[in-house]
Amino acid sequence: MIIATTPSLEALIRAADDGDEAAWEAIVDRFAGLVWATARAHRLGPADAADVAQTTWLRLVENLDRIKDPERLGAWLATTARRECLRHIRLQGREFATGEDSVFEAPSEDRAEERLITRERNTALRRAFARISERCQALLRLLAAPESLSYDEIASALAMPVGAIGPTRSRCLDQLRRTPELVGLQIG
Amino acid sequence: MSEDLDPDELLIAELRAFFTEVDPVPPLVSETAKASLGWRRLDADLAELLSDSALDEEPLALTRGAEAPARSVTFSSGELTIDIEVHVDDPGRTLLGQLSPSAPATVEVQMMADESLAAEADRLGRFRVRLPAGGPIRLRVLGADGRGGPPVETSWITV
Repeated sequence: MIIATTPSLEALIRAADDGDEAAWEAIVDRFAGLVWATARAHRLGPADAADVAQTTWLRLVENLDRIKDPERLGAWLATTARRECLRHIRLQGREFATGEDSVFEAPSEDRAEERLITRERNTALRRAFARISERCQALLRLLAAPESLSYDEIASALAMPVGAIGPTRSRCLDQLRRTPELVGLQIG
Repeated sequence: MSEDLDPDELLIAELRAFFTEVDPVPPLVSETAKASLGWRRLDADLAELLSDSALDEEPLALTRGAEAPARSVTFSSGELTIDIEVHVDDPGRTLLGQLSPSAPATVEVQMMADESLAAEADRLGRFRVRLPAGGPIRLRVLGADGRGGPPVETSWITV
């Protein structure tokens, strides 16, 4: 038997189901970025994305005792979040979810001079990103989530075959690279 | 030190830095997620979401111009079926519900953000609740079996 240095997902899920808050927080810390990125990849605004995230986490709470495949918890969360996104989109249309400004809140900070370069780069990326197809925006948003997601998780978030992710990824990165904003920048 | 000399990896890394800065998980979203363990089902049976018209694939052309039909959602615990219709009157919501088998019962609407609201289902199992705002809710039904059995709680849905 291997003694793991970090508890397995199975152990965390079981502990959370018994009411262990630390275990639950560890699960949230690990997957909060995935759930958020899934909602944002569906072009939901911040308020709707927050509702989707909340409902997704509550769904997990009520299903803690019936998660069949703990190692695929990320994919389960991504699927659950995607279904919640579809509900939102269907119920509310996309009025809050078009255009670059609503997709990403403008960064509020306006401070140090040393950030100027970063800011210009971010502006370029923001504009470039708005030019590529929605499908590419969604895929790249997930590929660029803070904690790297598995292809299984990304496929679940987008209802896309796992095998399509690699080729689509290359195509989307090419699209992005060819935007006028990025042609001038030495990125990738 | 980076071993990612692949241009695709570099561009992904650039995007990751970008999204981490401009679109991080809002702290309130993480905090609320962490607090949600407090909503564990302790004493109740779960009524799972069976169907939700918000996920039906109806052609939009058929409903355009016409009054959109109310969203209808069905939960079932095996012994109890709970149907609700969600009527939106922003910012509020009105839920019209039906318990089957029909029986008088107390229906609590639990909300993340507000105090629970309670309604009484009549002897035909019908109930009506008006919510001050939309958001995640679940229903907790007490006494529907008439024998003092455990309450039934539905899955969470966002209305």
